[in-house]
Amino acid sequence: MKSKSTARAIPLVRVGINIRSLSAKLKSYSPAFMFMSPAVILVMLFYFLPVIVTLWISTTDMSVATFRGYRMIGLANYIRMLTSRWTPRILKNTAFYVIMTLTCFNVGMALVLALLTTHINKKVGMLFRALWLLPRITPSVIYALLWIWATADAPFGIINQLISPLGVEPRNWMMKTPWAVIILANGFVGASFGMIIFTSAIESILPDYLMAAKVDGASTLQTIRYVILPMIKWPILFVLSYQTLSLLASYEYILLLTNGGPGFYTTEVWSLYAFHLALSNYFGNVQFGYGAALAAVLVVIGIITSVIYLKVFRFRELVAEPKIEAL
Amino acid sequence: MISKKIAFLVVALVVVLIGSACKPAPTPTPTPKPAVPTPTPKPKVTEVKLVAWTIGPDEPSYYRRDNLIDAAKRLNKKLEEEGSPYRVKLEATFETGDWGDYKSKFMMAAEAKEAPDIILSGHEDVAPWSDAGFIIALDDYIAKYKDVYDDVIPALWPACTYKGKKWAIPQDTEARPMYHSKTLLKKLGWSDDEIAALPEKVKKGEFTLYDMLEVAKEAQDKGVVEPGYGYWTRPRKGGDFYAVYFAFGGEMQDPETGKLVLVKDAFLKHLKFHYDTVFTYKTTPEGFIGTEWKDWHTTVSAADKVLFWNGGTWHWAEWTIKYLDGNEQHLWDNVGFTLFPAGEAGKSPVELSHPLVYMVTADSKYPELAFRIITEATCPELNTRHSVESGHLAILKSQLEYPKYKEAKFLSEAGYMVEYAVYQPNHAKFGPYDTILWTALSAVMAGEVTPEEALDITVEDLKKELGDEVIIK
Repeated sequence: MKSKSTARAIPLVRVGINIRSLSAKLKSYSPAFMFMSPAVILVMLFYFLPVIVTLWISTTDMSVATFRGYRMIGLANYIRMLTSRWTPRILKNTAFYVIMTLTCFNVGMALVLALLTTHINKKVGMLFRALWLLPRITPSVIYALLWIWATADAPFGIINQLISPLGVEPRNWMMKTPWAVIILANGFVGASFGMIIFTSAIESILPDYLMAAKVDGASTLQTIRYVILPMIKWPILFVLSYQTLSLLASYEYILLLTNGGPGFYTTEVWSLYAFHLALSNYFGNVQFGYGAALAAVLVVIGIITSVIYLKVFRFRELVAEPKIEAL
Repeated sequence: MISKKIAFLVVALVVVLIGSACKPAPTPTPTPKPAVPTPTPKPKVTEVKLVAWTIGPDEPSYYRRDNLIDAAKRLNKKLEEEGSPYRVKLEATFETGDWGDYKSKFMMAAEAKEAPDIILSGHEDVAPWSDAGFIIALDDYIAKYKDVYDDVIPALWPACTYKGKKWAIPQDTEARPMYHSKTLLKKLGWSDDEIAALPEKVKKGEFTLYDMLEVAKEAQDKGVVEPGYGYWTRPRKGGDFYAVYFAFGGEMQDPETGKLVLVKDAFLKHLKFHYDTVFTYKTTPEGFIGTEWKDWHTTVSAADKVLFWNGGTWHWAEWTIKYLDGNEQHLWDNVGFTLFPAGEAGKSPVELSHPLVYMVTADSKYPELAFRIITEATCPELNTRHSVESGHLAILKSQLEYPKYKEAKFLSEAGYMVEYAVYQPNHAKFGPYDTILWTALSAVMAGEVTPEEALDITVEDLKKELGDEVIIK
């Protein structure tokens, strides 16, 4: 049986060893910390701190009139949000907008464009990609004006001028089909981001793989499906996550095109709803507290969505060391 | 033997003595001249820069800015006469964008302590901005320049008053008539006498809002106008919609307590009227709210497509200048205007007015100079040129007799409407109150909820958000 003194000494020795090894580990990581610190500081300042401030404001009744005399009201803003008759409508709009724009354009069309432009003559491909960048580099107000004019009622709108000879009744396309116009307008801008990333990823694939697939008799579609797509899984995950969060938070073009209308919350998405309540209102009624609560919910939705993507795409496997190198 | 030193000293002494003896001839004393008075030095003049923000959004209202600029010049002349060490240099802007964006811009500037010295806005901002400490009370200054402010039409002061103090100076007011197309009424079979008699019938309460919808429906049924073109409301959110609530006997503020008020019966009828025009009579198109202003103005000002529409007196000037190339005669030939009809028999016609006001901000380093610029702008000459150009109504008693104002045919003919004026309240929570009421109305007009459901939602939301700040009758 160990003596008491020995029994006491062993944990101390163990602790001494742990402190030493911890200290050694910290020392080995310190260059990494130093390199990461600017980015960490930026993320802290521009993400975590604003989130904390937003959460705090969301527990107040802060508005224009009460800005210098607000009260803490706990979760009242969240309860108001949950019990509001209009919340499901706004949520539904947001889900529709994000899913449709993401699948049809920001990821879907982006992939199609990248695949097409990398399978044709290089210069022609570059030209098409450059054309697809135009909506993104056009100032948003001018871009929105172009859409408003293009969709205007006869005799002004270009769309009417082009398709009415085909027997289609002219109309104000923005008023009659607002979602189609919004998804197209946002999609044309969003597709270019994914297109650039995917093009770069596709062009980084070693030609040996493509040659091998060809030698094995794979058609172009089979090569795309079994070679190219699996090899650009990581960029697809990145674009999907990034664009989802971007679309959740974006409302710029909706504000400029329809301002959430026409009619009653027809195209009002969550971020635009928060903007209307917290920052812009016809009678100057800006409710910072409630707007912050809406924004806080958006942050939570964004985090949950990102976690789901990481799970579905098996993020851990993607960033793990290749098994062959571990052997 | 005399030493060399002593010899030197003796020689030096002799030289000094000889030199002092050789004095220059005395200068003759000049005859003294009479003293020249020293001029009083001019006081150092300091030029102070003041900033003013104004908005239309209608373009013809640019005198809201230009009147301040001219007022600053007049003030400088007065300051010179007074021997003041100050002169003002005014930097004024005029915006034609959205009200919401303009107010957000001001609010953010005020919170950053960078607000302009003078801000023009709707009177409904007096309450929240004074509670927020953005603007200053003007009672002392108004008393100091009493001779100017005694001329302001008394009915306008309540719009500038909050918690017993005056926080603003009226810049203009307007009326929001119900317009009608005389051309289309004639096509419907109305005689010229009947059309001419319509304003008087509305005034006496003999032609109500539902009478108007009946006529609009008749016009649609007979093909005089297309379906959905019988009656057009304004195309976007705004105070005009509340004219219907007031026309059914609604109130917005308790005169004794100052609390906000919702009259359930009147509000239900207000909702039902808007439901009926869209879905029962089909005289307003579905999904109409959100229509571009440009499209609305182009269509109504042509006066050949829409039978009835409600707008503002300033629209008359806007149509003339922007949409009809200056052809005001087209409007006189084809468009008539009346008060907003009574909601039902036994009620009175109404006129919703929305005075715009100048305010001095708390950030101003020279509040009295800023106030004096506003005072110089508050005169018949400057205010009349704004009224005539933009179709807004007089704010001064003397303005009503001012020749150029009296010559303006539209202002003369529409001027009586101010006697029927009702105003939106000055209350710090009017913003949330308005959001709740507007949300309910737009949901009804979109067919999302019935008028009865909308009323229940409104009452519930008002109680939740405003608590005891609102009286629900």
